[in-house]
Amino acid sequence: MSKPKTKGEPDAWEAVRMKKQKKLSVLARMDYKKMITYPLAVFIVALILLAVHFPHLGIDLQGGVVITAYGVDTNPDELAKYISDQIGVDVRVESFSGVDTKGVRVYAPTGTDPLEIINVMKTKYPDAEYTHSEVQPTFGEISQQQGIRALILAFIGMAVVVFLFFRNLVPSLTIMFSALSDMVIAVAIMGIFGIQLTTATIAALLMLIGYTVDSNILLTTRLLKRKEDTIEDAYLSAVSTGFTMSTTTLGALFVLWLISTSQTIDNIAVVLIFGLLADFMNTWLLNAGVLKWYLARGSTRGGKA
Amino acid sequence: MKRRTKKLLLNWRIILLTVFLIGSVVTLAVRPLTFGIDISGGVALVAQTEHPVDADTMQLVVDSLQKRLNTLGLRDITVEAQGDQIVLVKVANVTTAEEADAIKNVIESQGVFYMEFDGVIFGTGQDVEYVGIYQIKPDNTWSVPFRISKSAAEKFAELAKGKTGWPVDMFLDPPVNSLLVVPDSVYNLMNSSEFNAQVPEAPTLLQRITKAFNITVVAYANQTADELADMAEGREKIVLVDLNQGLQSELENMNVTVRLVQRGPGESDHALIIRTLGLYGPYSVGEGLATGQPQQDVQITGTASDRLTAEQEARQIYTVLKSGSLPVKLNVVGMEFISPRLGENFKYQALLAGIGALIAVFAIVYFHYRNWKIAIPVASTSFFEAIIILGFAALIQWNLDLPSIAGIIAAIGTGVDQQIVITDELLGGTKETRITRRSNVLKRMGRAFFVIFASAATTIVAMSFLLIYFVGTLKGFAFTTILGVVIGILVTRPAYAEIAKYLLGED
Repeated sequence: MSKPKTKGEPDAWEAVRMKKQKKLSVLARMDYKKMITYPLAVFIVALILLAVHFPHLGIDLQGGVVITAYGVDTNPDELAKYISDQIGVDVRVESFSGVDTKGVRVYAPTGTDPLEIINVMKTKYPDAEYTHSEVQPTFGEISQQQGIRALILAFIGMAVVVFLFFRNLVPSLTIMFSALSDMVIAVAIMGIFGIQLTTATIAALLMLIGYTVDSNILLTTRLLKRKEDTIEDAYLSAVSTGFTMSTTTLGALFVLWLISTSQTIDNIAVVLIFGLLADFMNTWLLNAGVLKWYLARGSTRGGKA
Repeated sequence: MKRRTKKLLLNWRIILLTVFLIGSVVTLAVRPLTFGIDISGGVALVAQTEHPVDADTMQLVVDSLQKRLNTLGLRDITVEAQGDQIVLVKVANVTTAEEADAIKNVIESQGVFYMEFDGVIFGTGQDVEYVGIYQIKPDNTWSVPFRISKSAAEKFAELAKGKTGWPVDMFLDPPVNSLLVVPDSVYNLMNSSEFNAQVPEAPTLLQRITKAFNITVVAYANQTADELADMAEGREKIVLVDLNQGLQSELENMNVTVRLVQRGPGESDHALIIRTLGLYGPYSVGEGLATGQPQQDVQITGTASDRLTAEQEARQIYTVLKSGSLPVKLNVVGMEFISPRLGENFKYQALLAGIGALIAVFAIVYFHYRNWKIAIPVASTSFFEAIIILGFAALIQWNLDLPSIAGIIAAIGTGVDQQIVITDELLGGTKETRITRRSNVLKRMGRAFFVIFASAATTIVAMSFLLIYFVGTLKGFAFTTILGVVIGILVTRPAYAEIAKYLLGED
């Protein structure tokens, strides 16, 4: 710690930074119309995807029974058929695996007795570890309403905070739209990958608001407040910070997803990953494009920004 | 150089971080972390009251549930009201799915207890003065002895005078004030002397319950939902026994409260009736009781198919008699059971995942900056942040469940993001301006903290709604996220900024 400051070392990271900025300068030079168009197109595609294939609701939002058996490694379809034959109820089985365990989840309709299914499974897999949960449709409905309410309120809350911080309509609206688009795209990708909408994934979508606003605020602050740099320089410095931020977070979330076998944690991690990927596009193309356009427009009219 | 180091160590932000760190480590050592049932194993139940209730009634529900579960001999119970209709019950150390089911039954039995004779209710749960320990005999019959009040005993003595052998019934949560729609065979059995003990000429069970509880029984003869709804006008609900679900949903669409009792596999009409009505008995009035002399010591008995079931039934009655009735009926609408062995596995995984995420952050930060002077402080600040969050959780005995752990990790994720914002602001600009403009540092830090405060405020606001409005298990996620963000902006971020300034020579 008491070692004198070396001159050589800063040059090392300076070189890394320059290399990174070179790679990212493609983005900085992009025409703002294109920057706005691409993300908007993706947003619309996501909306269409949602209309065609909305993610399934998890049992905690629509009611049902789920039995999880750890230590079972089998063909899901065969097991589903076996259970259905034994108890006369149609069940759906999916398998999962973590670092050190494999297992299956059995989904059955409301009113099925989970103990009955467990007993049937125990005859085949006596050593597996079983857990079960059961949700009535009435409670699922309550959770759904609350989920929607929480999302709407959180969104409004976010909008108010962002507006209070920037006191400027265009950047604030862009941040809000960007967050909305992140969520829509994340939900659309959930649909593609067959991830259910559950209370856990709703929490992840709420968390996404916090994460995505981070980078948007960073960008907006750098572009609007850092007046000693050119717009391009400010954008470049913001995007390189943002790139570092996103990759670290993505890395941490990926490790989390890889190691955990808990569905709650897995789902939260994976939805955040989708959202952050969407956010990368929305912040550094859409939001940046709108701000560039806004600043260019402002300066031609006498530098309002 | 030495003066700079000393200045850093005496900086109040660093001191604050140190104090929090030491405090957290001490707290963790003295008060170990408590884990939620999804980690330590156990059962979580979400119960909903039949209709919304006021705060006082809710408190009564919570108190009596607590008492009731304690009576069951369970430890580590939390009962928490959320809103005006939801009660969250968590019980740790539940090892089998059957045990979890028994807890569900105890919560769902409202526990309104009636003693009835000849169509007259002579005592209720209020009259139970003392409950003895239940007994189970080798033939799987069980009995729960209890003492009733003097007034109930006197009332009974008067009613039963000279009626040796007549049936006495006890009911737990009968469907009071309802329309009971049953198949023909069930109707006929209820209207026969099947439930009359030894006296065929006494009123039938059907007559007794009609008089005592205002229950009207009708045989199902393809009545339409409309007709049934008309018949149930002014009643609390319709109970459909062994009928199809289509009728249930039709009636529910007409906004009628319906309860569907399905016949279990191989269940006889007799058993179905007993279960529907919550009937215990009938018992036969012995000669000694028909003399007009009040008798306060009575008992409830039953027979089960095996010892375990006998024990469960006896224990449930014992529990309900002992803890009194719930002011409103509860339905378990959600239930989650996690075996303790599995929970142990999750705990280990969560720890592993946390360490893994930390290493990933460290590696990626190093990859970006190629500088230990950044990677080490960033990763260790995140580590400190985790310790402080955990220390705080231990201090307030917060139950760490899986969503809480996800929240901690999410908070640390934003923490790393913000440290990177600080770092890049410090490194920002070209090398020359960085050296020449020292006052610039303040401005840069101001800008970094503007970003940090704005995003922290947004996260806190967004999560607050989750914390306040959500019922169920996700409050933990919101709580730890907010906690992490607050600790971040108050303690760890300012300290990191100082350390970074020191290490990067911007001082």
